Amino acid sequence: MSKRARLPNGVGLGLRWEFLEEVVDGPALDVAFFEVSPENYMRRGGYFPTMLERVAERYPLVTHGLTLSIGAVEEPSADYLAELRAELARLLVPHHSDHLCFSSAGERFMHDLLPLKFAEANVARVANRARRVEDALGVPFALENISYYGHLGRREMPEAEFIARVIDQSQVGLLLDVNNVYVNCLNHGGDAREFLRQMPLDRVVEIHVAGHATNARGLTIDTHGSAVAEPVFELLEWTLERTGPLPVLLERDNDVPALAELVGEVGRLTALYARATQCFEERHAASA
Amino acid sequence: MQPALEAALAELVLGPKLDPRDAGQVRAWLERHQIPAGDQQAILDTELERLLVYRELVQSTLKGALLRAIPRSMARLGSVFDEYFARFLNERGPKTHYLRDVAGELLDYMSERVGSDARVPDYWLDLARHEALHIEIAATPVRAQRAPAAALDLESGLGFSESVRLMRYAFAVHTLDDDPASRSEPSRTKTDILAYRDREHDVRYLELTPFATAILQRLLAGNSLKYSLIAAADELQVSLDDATLSATAALLADLAERGVVTVPIAATRDSSDHDPDRATLAAEVTPPHPPSTKHD
Repeated sequence: MSKRARLPNGVGLGLRWEFLEEVVDGPALDVAFFEVSPENYMRRGGYFPTMLERVAERYPLVTHGLTLSIGAVEEPSADYLAELRAELARLLVPHHSDHLCFSSAGERFMHDLLPLKFAEANVARVANRARRVEDALGVPFALENISYYGHLGRREMPEAEFIARVIDQSQVGLLLDVNNVYVNCLNHGGDAREFLRQMPLDRVVEIHVAGHATNARGLTIDTHGSAVAEPVFELLEWTLERTGPLPVLLERDNDVPALAELVGEVGRLTALYARATQCFEERHAASA
Repeated sequence: MQPALEAALAELVLGPKLDPRDAGQVRAWLERHQIPAGDQQAILDTELERLLVYRELVQSTLKGALLRAIPRSMARLGSVFDEYFARFLNERGPKTHYLRDVAGELLDYMSERVGSDARVPDYWLDLARHEALHIEIAATPVRAQRAPAAALDLESGLGFSESVRLMRYAFAVHTLDDDPASRSEPSRTKTDILAYRDREHDVRYLELTPFATAILQRLLAGNSLKYSLIAAADELQVSLDDATLSATAALLADLAERGVVTVPIAATRDSSDHDPDRATLAAEVTPPHPPSTKHD
């Protein structure tokens, strides 16, 4: 590790403990970067932080938080932000992201991504806080659109407008999770491409894709527990044709298969990535 | 607006289970949180069933974290554990950013309550604490600045690794089988375990004699070696003769070699292995706690 560098474009993989040793000790993988949840390494000694340092010697790293709870009433804990800042500095990550949601209520942490009401008041409140978080962390900050399964009350605006306005007012980056867009369209209706057209694609700093599943009640859940579905591949391609090259991450948190299988999926995404970004270049060349 | 909605969802997720078909119960929940009329209507019209998904997701995540930390203790209590888990979520809830710390918070909560519950075996808290110790020690943060190691001095205290824990159990829970299906019971034997993370990041356990415990608990509290020795001998009516002093020196040398004690101490016998005979005041606890389990 030497200095903070921009996250490389191309397809990265979420780092999971199931294959940590293979990543550290195995042959070099055709993976552009690895993403980690800093909460799994912060305020912690021993094996995992040590192994993460070794991963960082071989691959670029980026962090994606789980418990900032940016939309909660309570301000994020100053201790947590200070520890997070130190962790980001230790890992020399180019940017940090978390979710546009809340995950705590008062002192209680629920350890899940709970939906904010799509409300005027939340736009300003969360945007202000996002700016402050970026200052506190000392690295560029991005917010991810979440999968949500129910809405907390009456919508004052559509989801796409809520996200776009928070990003616009905060001027932080957008981590665009294409699977979440697809899952939300399945659960709440709407056309995924139309949704993506309303996203501030010029502010996207990273894209996520993952697998999903349908539960017994017919709701589609963002499980991160299966391969990326075909419609999500298509949406990713559509998006990259419009954004151009960006870091893309394959997330897999549950039912984690062998690393070789995940690297194979990264390979398929990389081929799609090459096609889509070439299309983007050709479009730009034609319009120039 | 957000405070009311946040509190309402927190209750839906962590509180007593709400029956969405019970209109009175649902209305009371909304009113309790003073949810504005427009939001109430939207929740009643379309969102309630969907919002209840979060209860499953949150509780499943938290339960998963507990299963990684205290699987045998959970299995032994069965539905009684579920009852305490529900009470914990409802009355207190996790207050940590770190999922790995939820088990400790739950055990703190339960330790104040299970003593008077005849359904909970007497040994249960010892077992749960012992199980939870593994992740706690494996993850103990490294001190930012460690004091430079000084030479051993009778008038001074000893430095210890940040991961060291001295556990005092009323039952020999460390002898229980690792199989969550096992229901064998531990003997009611006072047991002192020194647990620590070694240089290879593995968690190890040493069973201490009462005299070793008496010394180490004083040293861990910051007392000098001289005071700790004299007070321990006094407490247990042990003569500080050559044999005792030699065994103590061997113990401390062994702990220094293991990295438990951060002061360099010359070994009193010529061996580089952790020979169980070498430190007669402490014995390595062999499986069921294999040192290679690093995952949490």
